[in-house]
Amino acid sequence: MTGYLLEIGQALLALLLAPGLTGFIRWVKARLQGRRGAPPWQPYYDLRKLFGKDVVVSKNASWLFRFAPYMIFASTLAVTMIVPLVAAPLPFDAVGDLLAVVYLLLLGTFFLALAGLDPGTPFGGMGASREMTIAAIAEPTIALAIFGLAVGAGSTNLGRIVAQTLANPGGVINPGHLLGFSALFIVMLAETGRMPVDNPSTHLELTMIHEAMILEYSGRYLALIEWAAALKLLVFFSLLSNLFLPWGVATALTPGALGVAVIALALKLAALAVTVAVLETRLAKLRLFRVPELLAVSFVLALLSVTSSFLLR
Amino acid sequence: MNDHDTLFAQLSTLSASLVLLFGIALLWRRSLGAYIKAFRWQSLVLSLAFVMIGYFGHDPELYIIAAALLALKVFIIPWYLTRLQMRVGTEREVQPYVNIATSLIVAGLLVMLAYAITRPLVMVSKLPTRGAIPLAVGLIFVGLFVIVSRRKALTQIVGFLVLENGIALLAALCTYGIPLIVELGVFLDVLMGFLVMQIIVYHISSTFESIDVEQLSQLKH
Repeated sequence: MTGYLLEIGQALLALLLAPGLTGFIRWVKARLQGRRGAPPWQPYYDLRKLFGKDVVVSKNASWLFRFAPYMIFASTLAVTMIVPLVAAPLPFDAVGDLLAVVYLLLLGTFFLALAGLDPGTPFGGMGASREMTIAAIAEPTIALAIFGLAVGAGSTNLGRIVAQTLANPGGVINPGHLLGFSALFIVMLAETGRMPVDNPSTHLELTMIHEAMILEYSGRYLALIEWAAALKLLVFFSLLSNLFLPWGVATALTPGALGVAVIALALKLAALAVTVAVLETRLAKLRLFRVPELLAVSFVLALLSVTSSFLLR
Repeated sequence: MNDHDTLFAQLSTLSASLVLLFGIALLWRRSLGAYIKAFRWQSLVLSLAFVMIGYFGHDPELYIIAAALLALKVFIIPWYLTRLQMRVGTEREVQPYVNIATSLIVAGLLVMLAYAITRPLVMVSKLPTRGAIPLAVGLIFVGLFVIVSRRKALTQIVGFLVLENGIALLAALCTYGIPLIVELGVFLDVLMGFLVMQIIVYHISSTFESIDVEQLSQLKH
């Protein structure tokens, strides 16, 4: 019973933290660029405003256009229940492992691309085709990067991997771990539409990817998609921090350990957010045709990570 | 294995994979400046690896080699390369024989091949550094691949230097450093080879007004 309460609590925590995380990155970025910037809690206001607004749907749009936001939101929310955010062996470990995470995320991306194609606008089609180009190379890399850890732990269960790393902390400086982390970091930038791949802060730019697909959305649909995008960022950040540096994750379900875990999670998320903000300030966006090359780098890193952890076992 | 050896094993694989990483990063870049920078970083990490192996393997001679390596490959050769680049003009590796995404995948496969062929060696070896041997062999392959897949004479030279770094790393990992006199001889060899190549590049550049080696395969121009 406590396990299921934990699952619900974890999903709620993710829902609550996600917009703040996005806002925090924007705020740090603004500060680094010498602007004052909106406060970190601005996305919460944005979401409330969007939920209060009417929805305008194009006449050409089919039922898919209305259905997709719910699907995207639900699939991302389901992922937050499998990823160990605060506690390590989760009751839902039996429901889904690493592969479930990868394909639930891909399911959301798939529906987002369909929704981009549905109203038949040129921007939506362009965005969808780009998103799929990236997803096709990025998805296998996510799985492969985490497989490097799974080989060491002997299980593809995310909770088991975390518990194993906690039990054996010396493994963190082995090369498979480092290579896997860098591979997953690059893929994270691509999948969540961050800077060298996509610019998250512009609308109506010819090179946009994520924004191009959601251009037709408004009102509560837009709110759901924005919230899901923030959740996806949170999921990737917590995969990066909790799988590769699992300290602070609660192994026992006591209030004290859970409290420490929440604080540790917040600190790790903040550290990653600052890293991403610094990167986004320093890097220019890559040309679209160089993106597959960047993803090939991360694929090779992931491949080497698996090879070295498999052969050095 | 005791604690000392475990730490040594982990640090050596770690440094070898960093050295390899810079070799792979090279394949992603296009401009010669970026090639030189990646080579410089690689040599820096390599000399740190020499210091580390010297410390754990109790061989003070490696410190001298590390210092020579630092001077030669982090300062002298990159400096010469930059000067050479200024003389013959900056040409980017616009269209290598193998495109960039494919060369990255090929590099990954080459490293896996290195794992496969060094497996017998790693299995019989008792050295704590054995885990890093495949990575050094992989780096040698990657260096060779840079030489055969790039078009410009200068990027091929960097490929040769990376290959040489791989050999130095392999020697240090397998034997904790060959005798100092041999190592110094090798360094001198590299420097001489590099100077000869530099002269050839001048000639290619002044004859063809380009350093694209593709031009050399035609009899007339």
